[in-house]
Amino acid sequence: MQKTNKERKKISRDDLVAGLMLTPAIVFLIVCSIYPFIWIFRYICYDYNGFTATFTGTRNITRMLGDKTFWNSVGHTFEYAAYKLIFIIPLSLLMAVLLNMRMRGASLFRGMYFMPTIISTSISGMIFAFIFATQNGIANSILQGMGIIDSPIKWLMSRDWVMVTVTIMAIWGGLGNYMLYFTTGMNGLSEDVYESAKIDGANGVQTFFRITLPMLAPVLKVVLMLAITSAFKDYEAIMVLSKGGPGNRSMVMFLYIYNLIFGSTDSTSQAQIGYGALLSIMAALIVGTVTIIYNIVAKKLDDVV
Amino acid sequence: MKKKLISMMLTAAMVASLCACGGTPDADNGQSAGGDSSADSEAQSSGGQEAQAPEGATSIEVWTNDRHDLEYVESMIDQYNQSNSDGIFINLTVITEDYQNMLALAYNGGTAPDVVTANSLPLNTFADTGILVPLNEYIDADETFQKVNEPYEHAYEGLNLRNGNIYGVYTGMRSGVRVEYNKDVVEAAGYQEIPTKLEDYIDMAKTITEQNGGSCYGIGFTSSSPFERLLEMSAQVSGIFYYDYVNGRYDFSGYKEILELGQRFISEDIAYPDQQAVDNMRALFAEGQFALWSNASQEASVFTDQIPVNGFEWGVAPVPSITGEIKGALQTTPSKSWGIVSSSENKEQAWKVIQYFQSEEFVKGYLENGYCLPISTYMDGVIDKSKIGRLADFSMLEYESVYPQPPVINLTGDDYRVVLWNAVMDYVDIDDAIEDLNTRYNEALDADVASGATKRLVISDYDPLHPNDGTMTYLEE
Repeated sequence: MQKTNKERKKISRDDLVAGLMLTPAIVFLIVCSIYPFIWIFRYICYDYNGFTATFTGTRNITRMLGDKTFWNSVGHTFEYAAYKLIFIIPLSLLMAVLLNMRMRGASLFRGMYFMPTIISTSISGMIFAFIFATQNGIANSILQGMGIIDSPIKWLMSRDWVMVTVTIMAIWGGLGNYMLYFTTGMNGLSEDVYESAKIDGANGVQTFFRITLPMLAPVLKVVLMLAITSAFKDYEAIMVLSKGGPGNRSMVMFLYIYNLIFGSTDSTSQAQIGYGALLSIMAALIVGTVTIIYNIVAKKLDDVV
Repeated sequence: MKKKLISMMLTAAMVASLCACGGTPDADNGQSAGGDSSADSEAQSSGGQEAQAPEGATSIEVWTNDRHDLEYVESMIDQYNQSNSDGIFINLTVITEDYQNMLALAYNGGTAPDVVTANSLPLNTFADTGILVPLNEYIDADETFQKVNEPYEHAYEGLNLRNGNIYGVYTGMRSGVRVEYNKDVVEAAGYQEIPTKLEDYIDMAKTITEQNGGSCYGIGFTSSSPFERLLEMSAQVSGIFYYDYVNGRYDFSGYKEILELGQRFISEDIAYPDQQAVDNMRALFAEGQFALWSNASQEASVFTDQIPVNGFEWGVAPVPSITGEIKGALQTTPSKSWGIVSSSENKEQAWKVIQYFQSEEFVKGYLENGYCLPISTYMDGVIDKSKIGRLADFSMLEYESVYPQPPVINLTGDDYRVVLWNAVMDYVDIDDAIEDLNTRYNEALDADVASGATKRLVISDYDPLHPNDGTMTYLEE
């Protein structure tokens, strides 16, 4: 009995040490993550410009429900995310498979494809603005040179084309990252399985669909979830490339929220932190709902398979 | 035991590192009295070295968000620090990023400076919250200051004046928007001068585009607030403004005609096909890619130093109006004012610093360096205009003025400049755009007035040619 008490005492001392060790991390978590989160909720019923806060009750909620620009931006976000995911996941998987075939210079290519990930999105946004300029833009010059188009495409000035342009840029910027996830996942697959398949006479396509893809399923699931959440939160590159235009055609929800919270010097309005906070909660709910739906669907598919 | 000791030491080290992140006001003061560490690093990164006040001198901390005039301002401050007999040492910090928030944070944290560049600080936040102090008493007691700066003649409601209190006195002025044009191309199109009527102006741009077959367009627009840089100013000089001062309501109905005319730039393929960032468009103008550009007096130094125009002669002309007649004032932007922060413990010395910054000697050199146009008639007569270069082309027009600040509101959806430009681009119907703006702006105004977040500005004797001269009343309903 005495021994047990000693053990208990020892455990409590260990707990104390562990507690002390964890204190800085907990303090950081509270200050940098939990407090700002609660702070957001605090202002959703206020008009707050960073200096003075005026209580407005449920007015921000009424405003949100009737805010066409916001709900259109939600639609654009879904559209953008869909375009991005449809292309970036298969492409990055394909690149990962190709570069995993122990071909010559694979590391060099891997590095090249990954490079856009480490370039600042604002810089790449500016570069793409030059590439996709209607007049004297490289993209139009190449396409015209190849005889694919007769007259220049208004990549950034046309409401029909701007989503294509921002999607191309998003794919270019994110391809290397997802490729790396898949490469890492493939490195964990057993060589024995591939050797058995080879002995059984499986060709490359069969190996990919019957072995690589099923064995990569857990990685694919995580990568898809990351891709969905990041696609819904993208806005920096769009802000530089098209400013959400033309005519709000590429306005995504987080760009609209950014504009509201930080205000603009050439605007008659002011920074609207309270309303922006409410919209950011709604945006978080939207992203969260999409992620939950994805997880349920993925689990159901697992059960079926 | 050894393991426990190491654990304890690690914990202590982590806690110590956490505490070190905070720092104390004293530690900050050791580096720069009154300045915060990020501001210090900003100052150092701007090339300024952290100077130490001599023993016994009162250090007056000055924050500015202007970098373009730094060379002149720093040299004058050095001169002052070495020669003033008041025992004052000016310590200048330049904060070009997020200036307003940095200042608010410093004020709330008790590390605000004594003197700040005030022309970019909105009064509804910095004056109403008591961050800036009224300067009236200081001004009234100084006749020389009044003579040089004419503070009461250049006090603008909502900008530097609120309820009779002046929070900063302007020393300069940025002109309203002008048309900058490629003289060679315009003359080749058969025009000796820029038309004063908007329709003729558009016709001229069209002729240029057609004559040059894609090598040079008639006009170029930037993606950064394009409506503001020509059509909104054409509307202003035509007597059209977005706020109805007489009735205290937002009213965008007057813009219909100007939007219909503006649509021609796009529907008739007159304008340069891309609308890029301002500097990109300036570079394209300097390269002769389009002939007509419009912006304010900052273009004088841009097209002589930053992006010099070498291949052709460029001229400056007033913006056109709908009928060719001037029926309203053209908006100008007063610049370079200084304010005193209420937390300053050395307000008398802070005012002495402002007196120096706004002295005839300081302002004369500032204006002659071409940093801005003079705002006071006194300084206009004092400066040697042969020294200001192309800025002389942007001299104030008799119909230029400052509009009283319409109420700042919490607007839902897009700003009027975005919506009206979308109408020009034909992304939205003109009537729908006007109706949408009238609804959203007035809904927001009514709600904000009701909640007490803003007040309705009414000028019953409003004159569009002299918008700042009327009797201003703030209504709470």
